[in-house]
Amino acid sequence: MKNLTKIAIAAAAIAVASSALAQPKPENFVKHRKAAFTLMGWYFGPMGAVAKGEKPFNKDEATKATALVATMAKLPFDSFVAGTEAVGGTDALPAVWSNNAKFKELAAKLATETETLAKLASAGDEAGFKKQFGVVGGTCKACHDDFKKK
Amino acid sequence: MTKPATDMISAPVWDAFVRCFHWSLVTLFVISVASGKVGGEWIVWHMRSGYAILALVVFRLIWGFVGGEYARYTSFLTGPIRGFKFAKGLLGKTHQHVIGHNPVGGWMVVVLLLLLAAQAGLGLFSNDEIATTGPLARYVSDETSITLMSRHRIIGDLLLILVGVHIAAVLFHVFVKKEGIVRAMFTGMKSLPPALANEALAARKASLPLGFVVLSLAIAAVVIAVNWPALFKP
Repeated sequence: MKNLTKIAIAAAAIAVASSALAQPKPENFVKHRKAAFTLMGWYFGPMGAVAKGEKPFNKDEATKATALVATMAKLPFDSFVAGTEAVGGTDALPAVWSNNAKFKELAAKLATETETLAKLASAGDEAGFKKQFGVVGGTCKACHDDFKKK
Repeated sequence: MTKPATDMISAPVWDAFVRCFHWSLVTLFVISVASGKVGGEWIVWHMRSGYAILALVVFRLIWGFVGGEYARYTSFLTGPIRGFKFAKGLLGKTHQHVIGHNPVGGWMVVVLLLLLAAQAGLGLFSNDEIATTGPLARYVSDETSITLMSRHRIIGDLLLILVGVHIAAVLFHVFVKKEGIVRAMFTGMKSLPPALANEALAARKASLPLGFVVLSLAIAAVVIAVNWPALFKP
């Protein structure tokens, strides 16, 4: 029993040590969140032409793209961790950390609104998709207005 | 305003194109500001409104050379000394009536027109980093496009301030100097002292056909610019 305790403690110690080792550097958090935003924009942006009526609505394409947007929308916000404020080459404003509650609220709203967009697209609801696309765009903007360097 | 109103004579000052331009611009400016602030699905209207403003401003910039007498730069662009003298007189008692734009107002007209042209022009190349790019953004790098977007925001704020100053100045003329300049911008008629009224009555009138030609050209230029990528696929 004593040995088992020792093993457990050793295992816990190793787990703690390795998780500390696995902790990415601050600049890698920035890389991660920028990559997520870039991909989100990659799939979201081109649908703008559909929402504006410049391109026909294609259910399969919209379903694929909106699902990816909804996934991407969940990724970047975990990487706005403490310690990354001072990393250069980012458009994140200090407000991300000083007004973190609002930032998180907007991040949660983005997750919800992109899920709704994905549902409407996969249901083939063209009018609903177009309307919701504007809502998602407005959600992006609301956050950019306060938390992104312009 | 030293003379009583009974001595004043009503005379035509603002041609129809100047008036239509002004109030269309007011409407479109409000639409542009509101749709830009709201974003989302309203961004479509922001773009359309911007194209319309660009066409109007291009028209007005040309109209400044060929329009009615008081639409022309030659009638309202003056040197800084006259401008400062006028401004001084405006705040004191030596304020004099002018037929068209006063020297200070004339500067504001040109500054507003140029900034509006710049603002609408920048919009064509902007990228909002969400899902909207101006129709000509593809011809510049993303980096440039995003920089131009920043300028678009700065000039937008600057325009809001200047429009505020413009409205404040108009209110000053209307309520302090008792000049009916808002009504004049609707009717084209201004109440002027007899000498000025006679001058205004005899002044060069705007040519309606020419106005429509210039307006059509301005609209055509903007339609071509906005649809450039579709018209001339690279």
